[in-house]
Amino acid sequence: MLFAEGSPAEGLRADGITVAYDRRRVLDGTSLTVRPGIVTGLAGPSGCGKSTLARVLAMLLRPAAGRLTVDGTEVRRWRHRADLRTRVALIFQQPRLAVDPRFTLLDVIVEPLLAAGRPAADAIAHGERLADEMSLTADLLTRRRHEVSDGQLQRACVARALALRPRYVICDEMTTMLDASTQAHLVARLESYRQETGAGVLAVTHDTDLLARWCEAGAVHHLPAPDGTSLVR
Amino acid sequence: MSHTFTSIRTSTSSQTVGIGSRLRVDGLSVRFQISGVAPDRATVHAVTDARFEVRQGECLALVGESGCGKSVMAHALLGLLPANAEVTGAARLETDGAEPVDLVGAPEAVLARRVRGRMIGLVPQSPAAHLTPVRTARAQLAEALRELGRPAGSDDLAALARRVGLRPADLDLYPHQLSGGMAQRVANALALAGDPWLIVADEPTTGLDRPLVQTIVSELRRLTDEGRAVLLITHDLRAAEQVADRVAVMYAGRIVSLTSAAEFFARPRHPYAAGLLDALPSRRFTPIPGHPPELTMLPAGCAFRPRCHRATAACERLPEPDEVACHHPLEHHVVR
Amino acid sequence: MTQTFDSGTRPGGPGRSGRSGGLFRRDSAFRRAPGRRRGSPRLAVGTLIVLGLAVLVVPVVARLDQQLVDLGAASLPPRPAHPFGTDEMGRDVLLRAVYGLRVSLLVGLVAALVSVTIGTLVGLVSGALGGIADRFIMRVVDGVNSIPHLLLGIFIVAMIKPSVGAVIVSVALTHWTTTARIIRSEVLALRSRPFIDAAISGGSSRLRIVRRHFLPHLAPHVALAAVLMMPHAIWHETALSFLGLGLPPHLASLGNMINDGARSLLAGNWWASIFPGLFILLPTLAISALTQYWRDRTSPRWRSELQL
Repeated sequence: MLFAEGSPAEGLRADGITVAYDRRRVLDGTSLTVRPGIVTGLAGPSGCGKSTLARVLAMLLRPAAGRLTVDGTEVRRWRHRADLRTRVALIFQQPRLAVDPRFTLLDVIVEPLLAAGRPAADAIAHGERLADEMSLTADLLTRRRHEVSDGQLQRACVARALALRPRYVICDEMTTMLDASTQAHLVARLESYRQETGAGVLAVTHDTDLLARWCEAGAVHHLPAPDGTSLVR
Repeated sequence: MSHTFTSIRTSTSSQTVGIGSRLRVDGLSVRFQISGVAPDRATVHAVTDARFEVRQGECLALVGESGCGKSVMAHALLGLLPANAEVTGAARLETDGAEPVDLVGAPEAVLARRVRGRMIGLVPQSPAAHLTPVRTARAQLAEALRELGRPAGSDDLAALARRVGLRPADLDLYPHQLSGGMAQRVANALALAGDPWLIVADEPTTGLDRPLVQTIVSELRRLTDEGRAVLLITHDLRAAEQVADRVAVMYAGRIVSLTSAAEFFARPRHPYAAGLLDALPSRRFTPIPGHPPELTMLPAGCAFRPRCHRATAACERLPEPDEVACHHPLEHHVVR
Repeated sequence: MTQTFDSGTRPGGPGRSGRSGGLFRRDSAFRRAPGRRRGSPRLAVGTLIVLGLAVLVVPVVARLDQQLVDLGAASLPPRPAHPFGTDEMGRDVLLRAVYGLRVSLLVGLVAALVSVTIGTLVGLVSGALGGIADRFIMRVVDGVNSIPHLLLGIFIVAMIKPSVGAVIVSVALTHWTTTARIIRSEVLALRSRPFIDAAISGGSSRLRIVRRHFLPHLAPHVALAAVLMMPHAIWHETALSFLGLGLPPHLASLGNMINDGARSLLAGNWWASIFPGLFILLPTLAISALTQYWRDRTSPRWRSELQL
């Protein structure tokens, strides 16, 4: 466990998470806490299980063993059945894969609002506000994913992630595909959201410069490289 | 200024090839016509009036935001543009002791027989995806050598493997058994099979972790120091910083700044170049406001004008294509 | 670029963006394989239009009664008054073939729609639920598949009184399995796409994901399956009728006509079975040609395979 201080009920807390694909153990008893209000970093080389841990934290993947608690409530049901899943938002590495090709950018942003039962007109108005905060202009909102750049698409994905005002935001290599200017813009938006709401952010990246700049000093967790000993015997 | 990585450039380059060959791009423009009904029909100004030169023994980095036309440029040089592209201008390969080839006008047969693999080698974006999963690295390399009419005996393959830093035994692995770094080396070996003097690397570091980026960067530098000309197309400024001798900045299809790497990273003079550098986490970490313009609806005059804090009335005129194409370049940009 | 291949790109869809990536995706997906000729769909479309008009218009304007028995004009070879000749009861073969095609097309269409609907629902439920439910459903599909179609069809028809409805039920109940398999595998492929994870993470329920993501993606596959199923269903209808198990004998169906005609074939009356046979072949070949063309054009996976 990373942090001893603070109320034990607070935070997105993973304890002893183990995940294995086929015979390869990707995570072996990994523990990590994302505290509200600060930016926690998660670093490690390719293939160390960073993305897998991100999916577990977002309740999208049931681990073989271990406990996940959200502000003190243990997660017992996963994926569709996880009631608390909208409290944790996940931003994916490749925006092009994380967006339905049939959706316009506005569809992408308002979908969580509609799923939460907001009336359509209300959701659209809110969606346009969210888009504006990401400086996505109105003409971009009617386009589909093959008509915009990676950077514009990832802006829409960040707007979508923030639509339901999550308490924790997990950024899984959010900016590796993007240029420096877009990266700075997305990070600035997440920072203002964090300061405004006191949300906890997990920055998953192998970019040491970005970690140094973005994360709380001392709150960077390193996953070791995968090696032969992690094979399930 | 906090530079995490120091330059790996070597002062004394061991040149193995002649130094007279160069690629001269002169007024290269690429247009795409998008057919359709009125609002959708448009002309994409993917590359406009590009001018630069890469000589043997130097590495030129072409940098810019995604969608600025740098990838189209790479494809134009390799003759791999789709059929609806209209290419004008010239891109001459002036090879030592051979007749120059204009890549724009050359028929496909010439490109296939004389240019690709023999004069230009491509280092692809994702080497693992570039290799056939069902055949060993050895089989693929041998095929490439045979295609290029070169001897493909086991000694030749071993020599090629050693040149890119692989053990000859590694060649018997299948692509899924190769680590990321090894796959990159196999891709490099494929690019070098025909001993081309010009290497075009198209976003070779995108989405890779730092150790692997380091490997690729040092490979590219080694190729440069061997006396090859390297054109590195990337949005990864830190990779460019470690390998490039000169940096060309592309914005909305035009090259807006072409300076030495040292000058670009220490004293960028074009406001856009300065903005890109300021966005780096190791520097000010501040984004450039706004979006790049649509390549179908470029503003008149300087395309960066809507995003530029120094824009004046003069910017409604197109700046001269110069070392720094700007009406009001920064004189002493202070990098914090 | 291939790794971000965009299967959602509309074929020929106009793009307003100048993003080079988008351009390449669109164009390379559209580049025609050199040397490969694609059949023109015109002939197939023409055939279908002519047959469709015949089936719709002839029963309205025909002055002859297709059921009219005229033993004085029995078994006449083709002649201007009867271009396809007459059968052994003296009925006009052309007129009856048009009526027969009408019945066959109707049966084929309804049976295809019913079987594709069943198949889609089964495949969707199986793929979306996964786990034990999926395994159970797929074993049932295997079970149905292990029995020859025609045999099972005959069994179903034999249990119900021969009628148009019985034939439809029989064809539909034996043909949904292919669609179910296709739809299930598509759903399984979709389920692992990151944008489905993103939808789940955004709070979408299972039902909402089916409605907003799965169904729109599956629609082209379902439509293709339905159209491909039609010729197949027509063949089965005629096969059942030919065996005397399908439609009542007095009803002009193509299968019945070939069955009747076969009896007089030994007497040299080739026209009574050849022309109805052609009426089965023409529309089924035309539909197959059209679906092939459609699939070549719209399915990116097929297109990219063609380029290799």
